[in-house]
Amino acid sequence: MAIQFTDSSVRFGQKTALHPLSLTLAERRIGIIGLNGSGKTTFARLINGLVKPTEGRVTVNGLDTVADDRAVLGEAGFIFQNPQHQLIMPIVREDIAFGLKNRGLTNAEIAAKTNAVLARFSVSHLAGRRVHELSGGETQLVAIASVVVTGPKILILDEPTNQLDLKNRRLVAATIDGLEQQVLVISHDLGLVDGFERVLLFHEGQLIADGQADDTIRRYHEVAGC
Amino acid sequence: MLRSLYIEGNTPFHRLPVRVKLITLMTASIALFFVSSLQILVPTFVTTLCLYLALGLPWREAFGRIGWIAFAIAIVALATWYFNGLHEALALTFRLMALVLLAAAITATTTISAFMDEITVMLQPLERLGLMRAADVSLALGLVLRFVPEILDRYENIREAHRARGLPIRPLTLFVPLIILTLKDADTIAMAIDARGFRRQ
Repeated sequence: MAIQFTDSSVRFGQKTALHPLSLTLAERRIGIIGLNGSGKTTFARLINGLVKPTEGRVTVNGLDTVADDRAVLGEAGFIFQNPQHQLIMPIVREDIAFGLKNRGLTNAEIAAKTNAVLARFSVSHLAGRRVHELSGGETQLVAIASVVVTGPKILILDEPTNQLDLKNRRLVAATIDGLEQQVLVISHDLGLVDGFERVLLFHEGQLIADGQADDTIRRYHEVAGC
Repeated sequence: MLRSLYIEGNTPFHRLPVRVKLITLMTASIALFFVSSLQILVPTFVTTLCLYLALGLPWREAFGRIGWIAFAIAIVALATWYFNGLHEALALTFRLMALVLLAAAITATTTISAFMDEITVMLQPLERLGLMRAADVSLALGLVLRFVPEILDRYENIREAHRARGLPIRPLTLFVPLIILTLKDADTIAMAIDARGFRRQ
């Protein structure tokens, strides 16, 4: 159970978004930090194949993100920076069920799985609500539930506490803590990744620090000059 | 902001199976094409208007939803009046407005998810013939319904941004950002659909 980068790099036209890197990610909780435009999101999107490596390869639990791209999407779920972009259907229950369609499940099975995941995240009371009526914290929880219901083994969250108040930050942090999946979190919220087993620091498209949270966060302060 | 054209309710039209609604619309669209008698078209228009207004939509929103298309029909009607006479223009107006009201009533009483499920089922024979992927077509139609209010919201936001900055509202400065923002969001949403594995098989 691991994510493997082998000399993987990404270029968009002439611009190198991510310089070649090789590493293995097997820890249960991994933080990804760095300044804006440092390559964090590109790195994370390589994992579930939303971005393909220009050179090298990325494998997720042995599956190649280019050759086995559809299978990789089932292994690694992605929660976007703006969860509104990921909520496709207007009603919470419909949106959770959306990811379960086209899998040969009956309507009863889809309903059962939807109800189970809503209960698991303590958001059953939101089932009939319109997604645009949810608070920031509720939207984030529904977005996480909508991905977890499809059964991924890895979850990647792109700035999950962005624009949340303190109460909702704590709610989302506790939810992330309770997930049984391997979790990678991109965040500017250093408190969120502080207790993680491993934290990666990106700067100008390069991985410049990789280790325990304390050391990497200290290095981040040096890079940011504050 | 993510809105929906669906209006919650429990009217008889809400409870009607989606398939019946879609077949009714299809049949009415074909049948009314062959009718030019105002004695039939006017009662049909009045019936669909009553049906639409009975759904519980606030009047302002009810007319706001069909305002633009009614405006387009009015332009076509004026041209028809000029070239083919008043009777033809009235027949065209009542025919098209009846269909628009029926379609608006169906959209307001059917969830996007129900639409998508039904269209997927109805297109299964074509999928078996290898002509299309039914789920992709239903997703495309569902996204159109889902995006209509979203695009209207964005249009309003851009207008407000113009007002806030004291800029005159010109088609170029209104529609160019609208198209760019819509395409950008469409890209992200397409990525989210892929990330959620809807098109996995």
